[in-house]
Amino acid sequence: MAEDLSKKEYFPINSLVDVVRARRRGLEMAQAIGFPLAEATKIAVVISELGRNIERYVGQGSITVTAHVEDEKYILIIAQDGGPGIPDVERALAGGYSTSGGLGLGLAGSKRLMDKFDIQSIASVGTTIKAVKWLR
Amino acid sequence: MEAYDASETGETLETFTVVQKLEDLLLVSVPRDLTDNDVLRLRQQVLRDIRRNDSRWVLLDFSLVDICDSFFGRFIHSTAQMAKLMGADVIVAGLQDAVVETMVELGMTLPNIHAVLDLDDALALSREYQALERERGAGSAPSGRDEGGSQASNESEEWDAFYTDSSLDDWTGV
Repeated sequence: MAEDLSKKEYFPINSLVDVVRARRRGLEMAQAIGFPLAEATKIAVVISELGRNIERYVGQGSITVTAHVEDEKYILIIAQDGGPGIPDVERALAGGYSTSGGLGLGLAGSKRLMDKFDIQSIASVGTTIKAVKWLR
Repeated sequence: MEAYDASETGETLETFTVVQKLEDLLLVSVPRDLTDNDVLRLRQQVLRDIRRNDSRWVLLDFSLVDICDSFFGRFIHSTAQMAKLMGADVIVAGLQDAVVETMVELGMTLPNIHAVLDLDDALALSREYQALERERGAGSAPSGRDEGGSQASNESEEWDAFYTDSSLDDWTGV
């Protein structure tokens, strides 16, 4: 199939099966617009980390993956949930190497795998994470 | 290609897992996707088979895994800890290039775990230790021969720090 136009796909996340589906599709979408396997794998892992967080800590939410191809090529991942929110975003992002727990590795690691990583979290309203990786 | 089988209870993605015995090794083919339930089941199976076969090594074959997130890291680590208590060490084999690159950037390390390229290397490693043990005479478990000493145990503590479940709960703030 010719995937020469920007594509946007929405994945409701209610279970781990949904996470697996989203990350597999994310891998395909990234490769379809020219990301080499190693880079597409990073994108898939980030989708997986964000998806697992939603599944584990909130129960339900969504992930939207956009493969943009017009002026520039990039993958945009938006993970959204209506959960309790992340109390200390700074800490969650800084973590991973000392005391902050497995999730620290997930979020801090995900940030390292992407070019842009933005967390908006409001207590008892929810969390939206936007992550971008450009094709170089 | 794969069937996503969302069974109502006890969610599981894995179709089948092969655990086989080869000399001192217990070969575990790690499935491409893992759920919490798969991990529990796989771990139980591994522990049971270590006992049954008196295995000294557990070889986790990752050649099917193409998307390896931090959850897999926790799986390797916890399996290694449990195996250790039964006198077996974990060897990881078959990691794909793209997977390795991603693991490193994600910040995943595998302290105290042997990594080899493939089954041949794993077998060579286990035979080498076997010969070494025979020389020494005493039938000590592979755990007894740690050369990397203090540094390795420090790394292990760090790893424990970011993989403890209590700190995961802490994050949710509930």
